[in-house]
Amino acid sequence: MYRSTFLILSFLGAFAAQAQSGMCGTIADRCEKHISEAYIPDGQFYRALLNGDEMAEFGLTLYGGSTYRVAACSGDSDGVLIFHVVDKEGNVLFTNKDHGNAPYWDLAVAHTLDVTVEATLDPAKAGSGCAVLLIGFKR
Amino acid sequence: MMAFSRSHPVLLLCFGLLITGCGSPDATESEAEVNVPEPPKENEVVAIGGRTFSIPSPVQAAFAIKNSGLKYQRDLTVPLDRGASLVGKMQQATLLGMYGADMAYVTVHNDGQRALATLQAIEKLGGELELGNAFDRSLLDRFKRNVGSEDSLLRFSGTAFRAADEYLKNNERDDVSTLVLVGGWVESMHLTLADPAAAKTEKLTQRIGEQKSTLDGMVALLREIEEDGANAALVNALVELQAEYTDISPTYTYEKPVTDPASRTTYINSVTAVSVSEEKMASIAAKVLAIRSMILA
Repeated sequence: MYRSTFLILSFLGAFAAQAQSGMCGTIADRCEKHISEAYIPDGQFYRALLNGDEMAEFGLTLYGGSTYRVAACSGDSDGVLIFHVVDKEGNVLFTNKDHGNAPYWDLAVAHTLDVTVEATLDPAKAGSGCAVLLIGFKR
Repeated sequence: MMAFSRSHPVLLLCFGLLITGCGSPDATESEAEVNVPEPPKENEVVAIGGRTFSIPSPVQAAFAIKNSGLKYQRDLTVPLDRGASLVGKMQQATLLGMYGADMAYVTVHNDGQRALATLQAIEKLGGELELGNAFDRSLLDRFKRNVGSEDSLLRFSGTAFRAADEYLKNNERDDVSTLVLVGGWVESMHLTLADPAAAKTEKLTQRIGEQKSTLDGMVALLREIEEDGANAALVNALVELQAEYTDISPTYTYEKPVTDPASRTTYINSVTAVSVSEEKMASIAAKVLAIRSMILA
């Protein structure tokens, strides 16, 4: 009885892990299309699983003289993820919420600065899911 | 992994039940229910990749070096046979990141043949680190076909390193992911600082000063993945480097950004200022060289 339970739960655990990995991978594949050929990928992959109104955030240094493309994706279509770019004083430099939850946006940076990208699910579109952020840049 | 464990109640539930079923044959269903993890708190912040932090791409450092007019010095890069003599995970992973930074450096200086040779070294090392198929034969073939196109090579390598990072994170190998990034950063710093002319170039002294927050975040990342002391020497060396930065204090002035919805672009005009003296550049260069030598020893 317990052995059966163990095997079933082991399978469920492995399945859940695989499902998460697969879900994020599928979203990343879709998101990558927003980093067009004009941009060089930064070589890193950012993702988090969000439930309800949880917020994912990560710090980023944006170098002066560069234009960055930030792509933020979740769910099975564009516009599910809301993201804000905030400076270290808490000033919101950009939010895609003002632009129909745009799945990507360009940030043209005059001088180097540290920012935080905060991402949440649009509650009208998803209750949980994998949030993927991809960054590209051009000179 | 912090982000994963906090935000995956289904898996945690399975794991909790699994432990109950395995370790306690007399456990009842009600006891199993007691082990159900609490749901995440409202507004809980979930860090991406286990930390709230990213490391700038070595490609941008390579552009900064080239645009500053420093002389291209292939000898500054890591010898391509170095991978054969390094066996530990820490050394191999950091070396992979160093090769990545070197590849960016030689590519932006139009040394396509060296870039191709570096990619071959990366492919070999990537195989030993079991990075999936991010650096496979098809990437090498694409590289060969586009060896004269700097932008294509940089895009290919950026995509490949991202694929490797995704593979590592999906397989709970954040430690290797972090070490690759750290290696790339150390090598970028070395390539920038090795030429004494960098200390007389304002754009580069400023760029070195701007690394303060990156260094702080990187040390925090390394401490998070530290389990058995394998990275202790690297962490200690980076902490010593942090000490060099204590009297470097960037100032920040907010300026209202301008957004152009038609082009989906926001122009960020805030200003960060930082200055680093020639003496400080020299002492940072010495510390970076020591860290690099330690990794390659």
